[in-house]
Amino acid sequence: MPAVETQQLTKEYGAVHALDGLDLTIERGELYGLLGPNGSGKTTTIEILTGQRVPTSGEVSVLDIDPVENPLDVRRAVGILPEREDPPSFLTPREYLQFVGDVRDIADVDARIEEWSTKLEFRGILDTLSTDLSEGERQRVMLAQVFIHEPELVFIDEPLVNLDPLMQAEVRDILTAYCEAGNTLFLSTHFMEVAEDLCSRVGIIADGKLVTERDPQSLDEDGLLETFATELGGESAVEAGRP
Amino acid sequence: MLVEEFRMHTSLFGVRRFLLFPVFVAVVVTASAWLLGLTGTAMETVVAGVHLLVFFFGLQVGTAGLVGRDAMRNVLGEMTLLVFSGRTLPVSRRRLLSVFLLKDLAYYFLFFLTPITAGFLPLVAVGELSAANLVVLWLSVTGTFGLGAATSLTLVGVLSRSQVAVLGIVAAVAAGIVAEGITLVSYTPYGAYLDQTVVGAVGGFLPFAVLLVVGPLAFEPTASRRVRRFESGRFDRLRSLGDGLTARPLLEITRSSGSVWKVVFSLGVLFGVAALLLDRVAVATRIEPSAGIAFGTLLALGTFTTYNWVTQFDEPREYLRYPVGMDAVFRGKRRAFLALSLPTGVAYLTLAAVWYPVVDLLVGLVVFPLVSVYVFGVTAYLTGLSANELLFDTALFALYGAALAVVATPLLVAALAHGSAPVPSLAVAVALSVVAAAVGAVLSRRVGVRWHSRLRTE
Repeated sequence: MPAVETQQLTKEYGAVHALDGLDLTIERGELYGLLGPNGSGKTTTIEILTGQRVPTSGEVSVLDIDPVENPLDVRRAVGILPEREDPPSFLTPREYLQFVGDVRDIADVDARIEEWSTKLEFRGILDTLSTDLSEGERQRVMLAQVFIHEPELVFIDEPLVNLDPLMQAEVRDILTAYCEAGNTLFLSTHFMEVAEDLCSRVGIIADGKLVTERDPQSLDEDGLLETFATELGGESAVEAGRP
Repeated sequence: MLVEEFRMHTSLFGVRRFLLFPVFVAVVVTASAWLLGLTGTAMETVVAGVHLLVFFFGLQVGTAGLVGRDAMRNVLGEMTLLVFSGRTLPVSRRRLLSVFLLKDLAYYFLFFLTPITAGFLPLVAVGELSAANLVVLWLSVTGTFGLGAATSLTLVGVLSRSQVAVLGIVAAVAAGIVAEGITLVSYTPYGAYLDQTVVGAVGGFLPFAVLLVVGPLAFEPTASRRVRRFESGRFDRLRSLGDGLTARPLLEITRSSGSVWKVVFSLGVLFGVAALLLDRVAVATRIEPSAGIAFGTLLALGTFTTYNWVTQFDEPREYLRYPVGMDAVFRGKRRAFLALSLPTGVAYLTLAAVWYPVVDLLVGLVVFPLVSVYVFGVTAYLTGLSANELLFDTALFALYGAALAVVATPLLVAALAHGSAPVPSLAVAVALSVVAAAVGAVLSRRVGVRWHSRLRTE
């Protein structure tokens, strides 16, 4: 069974059709990237797949669980990092990860905090109030909360945002190793290079529909950007795709 | 900022519902004044009460500076309001704050203070109040609200520099009242209402004008900007009160500006209102109300502010990422709410023993916690984790007010009846409180499913 499967998924916000018959299949072990311009339906897709939102119609399955009927089961099995979210301002990173460990029933959370704070290089700020951290430091803490319960499927909206180049390279390695271990990664991003470097398959979404899917490794230089522009039409789309 | 404020409210509730809010306030004031008139309460007593309530409301609004200070201090945070744009625009933070305060004052003037005054229009029509006095009332009510807000904001500003200085100011004012017999009312806009002369006006509005300047000057958003570290282990200790969902709001409250003192202050405002109302009722009607029932009820109503603080730092959708239902989230909030509000309320009931017989106050120890459970249940059920914003929705505000009044009104009547029928009034108060707590408990159990479903389908 695929890790993620949707059939004719739709979501309407009043008169706005955020998703319009989305068909998506992601196999286990894949590093899948969803590309699309602002408002194309990327965030709504992740929210539905993780049980945070109920679709208007359509079928959806994540790790053989229906997130509409069993949202807590899906959230227990996956890791989620939304694009715009910081750790709580008045908790330290250690306390936030302890909080995550508490709501996720992680028995050895302190050991995992040590492990992930070392991997993502924020051990030195574990006891600093989150409101006093830089954006990059907060992003590293948020990445740790995604993986701390060792999920087999992870959803990340813009994984490298706010990270310095060295940390970006570290995170790329972590994400690649995570998938090589047989896990599945679902990325949503605006950045072509991220999708090209990391993803084994990329889907382009526009107006709530999956326009095309490509293997970025098999495309020529600038291939993904050209595909993006062609599928979405015109120069403005090319501009939208540039980091 | 005015456009921002208007758009924020109208996008949440729609233009019509938002614009109905001042109409609702005016109707409530008219109805209250009429009902109080039926009980024989003098018009001047009603006017004094309105000033008192507006002053305490202003004090409460001024504590919003605590939240603003955290946001301003968090210079790396997202900028969603113009008041936080000091990093990118060539405008000082102090100026932004001053404009923000004036905008808030204008907002409350239009949507709250003017409707309150308009609520007295029918009394002008029937000759209970002169048109000239209504105009003065308009100004004095506005000034009184501003005085309250500027006072608490100034104290917050001074607090950001020196806790000793705040204690010094409070001690100096207290000493002035006790030793020199200074009549504070003369230095408030209400004093100007009572003494409608040039001297009265200057004396009444001068402190407000001074605080309006001193407040923003005292306010130093970067005064205590430093990297703050905390020993590990606090989360685990607080977790022993329930779970991580309980520990989190407690840590957030204790570490944000004002710490737990903002909870103490908010309930203290209600304690002050209750004490003054009890005093006024005794003077105006010669009835000796039950202090225990009255304090227990009014302090419990005041725990709405505690609910606000325990949900202040939440983005409700964050909890949709975790494998816990919203019922667990609200259970944690309830534990934190009770852990903060119960000791504070009991402390105020104990303080009341300085003026009232201990035996009379004992019933307050029963009424207060039980009605607090009801307040939590109703507030959580109706407003979810966004109590502050949603209560500006007229329909919801009316429903919320009615839900609280259903319990508070008979309890306050029982308090008033205590002098003539002590045993029945106590029995009624305890029975009502038990029923209210049961209703609150039922609502608390249902709130998780309701808000989980709402957040997922919005």
